[in-house]
Amino acid sequence: MSAMRAIDFGRDLALLAPQITVALTGVVALGAEMLRRPRAALWLTVAGLLVATGLAVPLVGRDTTVFAGTYRIDVLSVWATLILSPATALSAILAVGEVRGTDREGTVYSLLAFTTVGPLALAGAGDLMFLVLGVLISSLGSFALVAYPRDDRATEAAMKYFVFGSVTSAIMIFGLTYWFGATGSTMLGDLHRLAGMRLVAVAGLVAVLVGLGYKAAIVPFHFWAPDAYDGGPVAVAAYLSIVPKVGAIFGLAQVMADLPAQLSVWRIVVALLAVVSMTYGNLAALPQENVVRLLAYSSIAQAGYFLLGVVALGHGTLAVQSLVVFAAAYAAMNLGAFAVVLRTGRDLAGFGGLGRQAPWTGGAMVIFLLSLVGVPPLAGFAGKVLLFGAAMDAGFVWLAIVAIANSVLSLAVYLRVIVPLYGPTQPVRPALRTTVLVWSVALVLTVLLGLGVQALVGQVA
Amino acid sequence: MVPLVSLGLFAPLLGAALIVIPPRVSGHLAFAVGLVASGLTLLAAVGIGLRGVGSGFSQVEEVSWIPSLGAAYRVGVDGISFPLILLTAVLFLVALIFSIRVTQRPRAYVALFLLLESACLGAFLSLDLVLFYVFFEVNLVAMYFIIAGWGHEGRQRAALTFFLYTLAGSLPLLLAILALYLGAHPRTFDMRVIIAHPPLTGVAASLTLLAFLVGFGIKTPVFPFHTWLPAAHVEASTAGSVVLAGVLLKLGTYGFVRFALQMTPQAFHDAALAIGIVAAFSALYGALVALAQTDLKRMVAYTSVNHMGYVVLGVAAAAAALGGRTRTLAIDGAVLQMVSHGIVTGALFLLVGMLEERAGTREMQAFGGLLRITPVLGWAFILAAFASLGLPGLAHFPAEFQIFLGTFGEWPPVAAVTLIGIVITAGLYLRAIQTVFLGTLPDRWQHMPDLNRRDLWAIVPLLALIVVVGIAPGSLLDLIHRTTSGLLL
Repeated sequence: MSAMRAIDFGRDLALLAPQITVALTGVVALGAEMLRRPRAALWLTVAGLLVATGLAVPLVGRDTTVFAGTYRIDVLSVWATLILSPATALSAILAVGEVRGTDREGTVYSLLAFTTVGPLALAGAGDLMFLVLGVLISSLGSFALVAYPRDDRATEAAMKYFVFGSVTSAIMIFGLTYWFGATGSTMLGDLHRLAGMRLVAVAGLVAVLVGLGYKAAIVPFHFWAPDAYDGGPVAVAAYLSIVPKVGAIFGLAQVMADLPAQLSVWRIVVALLAVVSMTYGNLAALPQENVVRLLAYSSIAQAGYFLLGVVALGHGTLAVQSLVVFAAAYAAMNLGAFAVVLRTGRDLAGFGGLGRQAPWTGGAMVIFLLSLVGVPPLAGFAGKVLLFGAAMDAGFVWLAIVAIANSVLSLAVYLRVIVPLYGPTQPVRPALRTTVLVWSVALVLTVLLGLGVQALVGQVA
Repeated sequence: MVPLVSLGLFAPLLGAALIVIPPRVSGHLAFAVGLVASGLTLLAAVGIGLRGVGSGFSQVEEVSWIPSLGAAYRVGVDGISFPLILLTAVLFLVALIFSIRVTQRPRAYVALFLLLESACLGAFLSLDLVLFYVFFEVNLVAMYFIIAGWGHEGRQRAALTFFLYTLAGSLPLLLAILALYLGAHPRTFDMRVIIAHPPLTGVAASLTLLAFLVGFGIKTPVFPFHTWLPAAHVEASTAGSVVLAGVLLKLGTYGFVRFALQMTPQAFHDAALAIGIVAAFSALYGALVALAQTDLKRMVAYTSVNHMGYVVLGVAAAAAALGGRTRTLAIDGAVLQMVSHGIVTGALFLLVGMLEERAGTREMQAFGGLLRITPVLGWAFILAAFASLGLPGLAHFPAEFQIFLGTFGEWPPVAAVTLIGIVITAGLYLRAIQTVFLGTLPDRWQHMPDLNRRDLWAIVPLLALIVVVGIAPGSLLDLIHRTTSGLLL
């Protein structure tokens, strides 16, 4: 049995160097904060996360496991590190504009790094314990981040988030015990033993979907998302909409890929969740006047598109490619959109005439939103084409059609922001250097990922 | 060899970058750059023609893009796309000449027009499905901003309708493209491969065809997908209308030929009669609704629905015919009709725009007897209107003649019914000429100035082309025929 394999700590720790670096970054940043050096905490966080990204680069193309098969170093986990570490770093830079000068500023940067360990654990989970651990680590940090402003709104948002998270995590742990009981193992690789045990398998499946669906903000486990995004700092909303979501989707992909072939009902279930998420997210985003809430619902819809890649797992290489490309695209364009919101404020009215007064910021926002719709040649288009292609390849043509119909619907959502950009003018705040840095990086990536998608697809093939 | 195709394709885009990126570019400079860029594209298009366009795809330029997915930058021309390239180059140059006095945000205006020109050329030149889709969508974005930024009062709403409609159309297109990609062995987005060996059969092919029909039907537009068109035209600026009607609608009809007919030929053949009937109905409907209009621009907009109906009818008749003269007659006519409609309707929209500039209104009833006070404008309009109603010796005649001949060979009743459309069009144009240019001249127009130099620079090339295509369509038809006679099925 693979679990009995001897553990070679030297090798395993070297392979885990990126994840360990992320965790250590959190510790070091916290140390800097304790010395009352918040600026140092920021730059240590950014530097640490970039080092972690660099350490993950040589691992591209590896497909192995560490710690007796409990953690996987594969396409998903390596690319999760490569995408989520820089995304966390950019979120930290984005947060400066909101938390600078506040009490305990450095803890935000430190918490961002700590929290990212959870999604990274999820993305490479080879064992049910890693799933639980990943959800819990990412939840604990997220609660604190949302509550950071310590005003009523933030506290209420964090409370909702916390209660929702506790209940879903409890359900997940409870349900997973069925799988453990049935297979006698917590390894995902042993899930094939569930063949023939339909009820037990479904119980565990529901548990996984509840726990990870909550992290990824998939309907019907999404209720916390708009409140939590809107209650906390905008930078935290950006972070929550990207890092835990990508981690959870990748985690879901790890589990689903190992389910026994007879239990193909999971594809239908995930496909239905995708449909509900996309449709509900776009419809609910439509009437929003608060752009953070609008982007929150939009990120629920985007999670739905994401699930197309999970549904298609096991049918050719398109599925994994689409997950990675869409994750990178989604991280870039969503981060960029939130960065622009940081300048204009949460109110939709604040976007009036931005395109005329600040042509670059306004133009960048147009690019981010069009990319979220999936207009070529931007990153979102590349990601969506791969997702739709993967779903069709797996025989889910109807799902691709629903996703396409939803893309049309989502255009109406994003046009509500684009149209006022070139309408009557509102006074606009001066741009912060850090914010400009974040959206500039996001803009370059959104365009380059679209045009140069080969660079990514070629690595994942 | 100089990559003429790519140079022509990217010259406008480069021009747009030159206008947008350096700070403080004056309006005059922007227009100068715009005219040079689109002029260079026209030169490149002529150069491509002089090199010779063969029966298959020629002058292909290829650069690897996403090799793992079989997508690449592939561009080239054949007898179907080359006439449209020429048309695009001419119309954009003319539209920019006409716009030269735009004072409202001239930099953004010229840059968007140049972006749109590159997008249109790219869509016609692409030999790769992904590349085509990219250009097709960029088109949409650029046109949205042109309508929303420089149109009339209700432009925001019209632009939104336009965007939503055409995006709703382009997404089924994406689905169809993915279906073709997944069906091809080995998987590829190379249009040449897919055209040479259409990968889909049976239900898959029929569904793909349906997606194409919806996608391109909205763009063309064919009844019942046409409702965005009048709003977009009425609210768009004159130059916007010229390129919208002259070039963008051709993306739809081009798609009918290049995609629907060439990539799912058997399914198109099976469904040809249904498509032909819808097209015939669309043509009649467009003519009848045009007859009911009192606004000149709306009238011209609806005649586009009529003329585009003929194009689709021609393509459908060609698909129905299994071979021989009927087939090539109809398809040659359809391709020529695209070019004719581009120059004729472009000219008509320009003339209506010139009239509106002078009068501030487009209501036919407000005018009368203008021929006496503005003879050049009047005669130009009469020439373009006669061309549009299909007078022999002018651009639409050889095209429509062939379409009807081809359709008659296949479905005599359909051709007979559709012919009523020509009669209606003739009636509505004659009525328009009579109301606006003949009769008594109201006092308020006593001092209306005739066309000025800028107007002439814009309109004369189009009028000349109308006559040239009408009298000597031979060389253009030869070029088209060389490609169409080699089509599969």
